[in-house]
Amino acid sequence: MPHEFAIGGVYVPPLLVASVLGTIAAAVTARLLNRVRLSRYFFYPPAVFLALMIIYTVLFDTLLIPF
Amino acid sequence: MTLSTRSKEAIKTALAMTIAYAISLWMGWDKPYWAGFAVAVISLATTGQSLNKGAMRMLGTLVTTVIALILIALFAQDRWLFMLFLSLYVGFCTYMMGGAKDQYFWHVCGFVCVVICMAAGPDSKEAFETAMMRAQETGLGILVYSLVSILIWPITSRADFDAAACELLSTQKQLCRSYLDLMRGDGNPGDAQALRAQEVQQQTRFGQLLDSAETDTYEVREMRQQWRRYRSQTEELTETMERWHESFAELKALDLSLLLPNLAPFGAELDERLAQMGRMLANQAPERQPAVMDLTLNAAEIGALSHFHKAALAVTCSRLQHLELLTRSLFDNLSGIKGFGQSIPEADSARPLDVRFVPDPDRLVGAVRVILSMWLAYLALIYVNGMPGGAGFVSMAVPFVMAFATMPQASVSLLFVPAAVSVLFAGLVYIFVMPQLSSFMGLGLLIFGVIFAICYLFAAPRQALGRTFGLAMFVTIASITNEQTYSFLKVANTALMFPLMFLLMAITANVPFPLRPERVFLRLLGRFFRSCDFLMSTMHWDPQRPVTRLDRWRDAFHAREVSTLPRKLLAWAPHIDTKALPSTSPQQVQAVVTSLQGLTYRVKELLEERGNPQAQFLAQELQADVRAWRLKVQETLKRLSVDPTAGDREAFRTKLDGILGHLEARIKGVLDQASEGLFSDGDGENFYRLLGVYRGVSEALVNYAGSIGPIDWEQWREERF
Repeated sequence: MPHEFAIGGVYVPPLLVASVLGTIAAAVTARLLNRVRLSRYFFYPPAVFLALMIIYTVLFDTLLIPF
Repeated sequence: MTLSTRSKEAIKTALAMTIAYAISLWMGWDKPYWAGFAVAVISLATTGQSLNKGAMRMLGTLVTTVIALILIALFAQDRWLFMLFLSLYVGFCTYMMGGAKDQYFWHVCGFVCVVICMAAGPDSKEAFETAMMRAQETGLGILVYSLVSILIWPITSRADFDAAACELLSTQKQLCRSYLDLMRGDGNPGDAQALRAQEVQQQTRFGQLLDSAETDTYEVREMRQQWRRYRSQTEELTETMERWHESFAELKALDLSLLLPNLAPFGAELDERLAQMGRMLANQAPERQPAVMDLTLNAAEIGALSHFHKAALAVTCSRLQHLELLTRSLFDNLSGIKGFGQSIPEADSARPLDVRFVPDPDRLVGAVRVILSMWLAYLALIYVNGMPGGAGFVSMAVPFVMAFATMPQASVSLLFVPAAVSVLFAGLVYIFVMPQLSSFMGLGLLIFGVIFAICYLFAAPRQALGRTFGLAMFVTIASITNEQTYSFLKVANTALMFPLMFLLMAITANVPFPLRPERVFLRLLGRFFRSCDFLMSTMHWDPQRPVTRLDRWRDAFHAREVSTLPRKLLAWAPHIDTKALPSTSPQQVQAVVTSLQGLTYRVKELLEERGNPQAQFLAQELQADVRAWRLKVQETLKRLSVDPTAGDREAFRTKLDGILGHLEARIKGVLDQASEGLFSDGDGENFYRLLGVYRGVSEALVNYAGSIGPIDWEQWREERF
């Protein structure tokens, strides 16, 4: 069963929360990859960022927020 | 107690907003917030600026109302064709928005069409009423603010305009004096560079204030043609002084006071003219009129120079003479404007305008991005169930994507904080304060208080983004109507639309290529050298050869690329992340752009000189040598167009020195053999000028190679997030 978040009586969909966390995690990962210069091995970093967002969203869903 | 300008402006905006809402609600009009938007957007620093912007908004709204109704009428039953033509129209408006004039008019033409189409589209029988309501509300907002700004504490642009004109002239006078000193071997190049940067900013400000002053100051409006001519003449003065400055390196070894005996009085005359123009701008009659001056040449000393030194001197003299003509023309024009009469007929130094349509590739890419964004938003609206904002999402996204299309350097992240703070603030007012109000008395006080606070706290020019967001979000979320309702969903949906819009902009920013500043910079460099290569290849065209329309168009396209790309590179340079590129400093990037600007001037001069007739015997004797030189330059440009970082200063220098040495000997040999009368003074002048500008292009390439040497370009090419 999906689990909504209730904030002051306002229901927030779990996908929204997972995707927000996934985006933040992807942004942090991207920064770290830039800092250690590993990002130079990617052919097209914007697509990699998108992939990271999706991976983290699914991970957060699996481990933290079921939707 | 006297109120500050900041308070007065805040009171005017708040009052106009309150009155606009009062009238709209009293008349029972739907969507009063459209009048509020108009007030929020057109409230600027001076009355002239506000009236200008208001006029462009009104005109844009009227034009686009007709377009929107035509689109709805033609494609009422076919949503795909409807969206196709609407997106093409908005793409066209985005392209036009990137031009030099009337940007805001085209912006309004684009996004207002989408607003009307999206508001009316699903139910087309309301289309006409929606379109008329938009025009009415916009007109109301503009009229109310215009009246308030004219009648209450009006601020005209006149004082700022006069000050800007004086500052610009003063800087140009100081720059001219600085360049005269540098030419003689004195002076500080750093001071000249600082003056140059100041001049660029002052030139832009002067242009903007002229547009405002034409609207709110009768005296300026009456002489607007002369003032516009003055503006273009000051721009030409800037360019002429820069071209003159480019030649100093080639004159280092020469004793100019010996070669040009009247150089000092010539320089003093230029300085004096600019000083007298300063007096006229301060509304004082000039103490003397400009005297026509020609540079005298010491023929004996010049005869002893090498041919390339003669060429460098010929180019410099040509530029100084043009400077003389231009300052005289400026003086006459200003004399006429200020009513101090003209001493001599106005010397005409104006260049004819080129009105051919030549597409700009960067503006085209911006238009494509906007079209793509609109399609993505539209597809999301159709296929995603429960899309926050519905059709309003498309209406909200379009103004932002259009604005960012013309500022591709700006990052979407700039909008995060202003959007979040403004939605939060407006949401709090909407949820907690507004439900307590029961009459317009309370509502009016609330509107006045909120608008005053936002305008007062965000009054500085650099806070314009925060101010615009604050006003727009308050007006949008409050959604004041006669049948007022309150729903948290409205705030939540508006808040959710922003992340979706940012996601949309982030996706389209990578199509057709990513907008990473380093990659864009390299791409623009490549384009620059491709265009230079093409223009150099046209040098071999026979002047008698019939020129086709396609040739003229390609010539115009590449000439425009060469003229405009250094400016675009200058816009991208500050956004290069030098923290991520430790071996690159902002000064090094600036040096690259400066060297490209120098190359632009040299190439333009070469194109101007190619039309001048050359002595037949010289053309025949030296054709092969000059051709070989031109081909070497073209080969270098072609290599640089593939890899703009593949320049080696020492190699270029060695090659150029070799060419100069060989040509010097060849020219000496040809002229020594030339019989009497075969080579007139006019022929000599044309020949040395052409030689000088050819050398100038080569020297500029050496200079460019020197500027790119210190930078680690491999790091620029590395992929990064």
